[in-house]
Amino acid sequence: MTPTSAAESLLSGLGPIQAMTEALRAWRIGDTLAPVIVPPMRPVPADQEEELLVGRAKAGDRSAFEELVRRHADRLHAVVLRFVRDSEAAEEVTQEAFLRAWRSIDRFQGRSRFFTWLYRIGINEAKRRGTREASARTVSLDDEPIPEAPDWSEAPETRLDQSDLRRVLEEAIRALPIEYRAPVILRDVEGLTTEEAAGVMELSEAAFKSRLHRARLAVRRALDEYFLEDRE
Amino acid sequence: MIRRWLERRRYMREHRWTHAHLSEYLDRELDPAERERVEAHASICPHCSRVLATLRRTLEGMRLLGSEPQPGVADGVIERLRDEG
Repeated sequence: MTPTSAAESLLSGLGPIQAMTEALRAWRIGDTLAPVIVPPMRPVPADQEEELLVGRAKAGDRSAFEELVRRHADRLHAVVLRFVRDSEAAEEVTQEAFLRAWRSIDRFQGRSRFFTWLYRIGINEAKRRGTREASARTVSLDDEPIPEAPDWSEAPETRLDQSDLRRVLEEAIRALPIEYRAPVILRDVEGLTTEEAAGVMELSEAAFKSRLHRARLAVRRALDEYFLEDRE
Repeated sequence: MIRRWLERRRYMREHRWTHAHLSEYLDRELDPAERERVEAHASICPHCSRVLATLRRTLEGMRLLGSEPQPGVADGVIERLRDEG
């Protein structure tokens, strides 16, 4: 057997180590060194890998749960941060959410994805502790455009990257009542599907869409105000 | 007179329906007939056309917000988990 035939051995049913051992045993000085091609290991799909971790965690394996923490802590922290006053509060809520998840993981049925279950715990935890920052102002849920505002849809593309516009968007989202803030954060900022985001909020899709639409219109109106002030 | 009133009534019905479905239109959650209904009304209604265009830009802006990862969050959680046994 030559080194290049290692791949053939693999394909014929030998394991990778056994195939390489066979190839090296047969290799002699002077043999042509051709590249050894070993078929890539088939990666375990991320979802399947996560299911395995959840299964192990449910069986009490804390190291598996810690791996889930490493995968999702940053994302949960970013979500929670938009419900509480600062990063420190978000960190406390994130820790509490994971502790609750660990204590109740045997109740996770696996009907939704793990992180949507986690988001639900995290958002409920933020609400329960009442740590969300009382906003300096509450955005109006009035969905009508401001008649005098300019049509800013044609503003140059780069304007959406401007830091002051980002600030206006962040403030408009933060000023939404929490039951309207959550839909835009989950759907528009975090990019969850309607089904996933509605699942996190334990709402029917129709009820979720209705809240999402009202919240989006309120944020859009805040931009009307921004562009109106900008013009004046 | 009656014809104009009926047309106006139909316009307002389409207006309310379109305004309520702009998000679903942008999320591509309407069926083809419903999408056409939104497009037909928006093409003759300056109000809905403007809201649709600016709402689209609003969603683009929100998608760009993102977040800076906060270092050490996972470590803090794992430490708490270990402390609590």
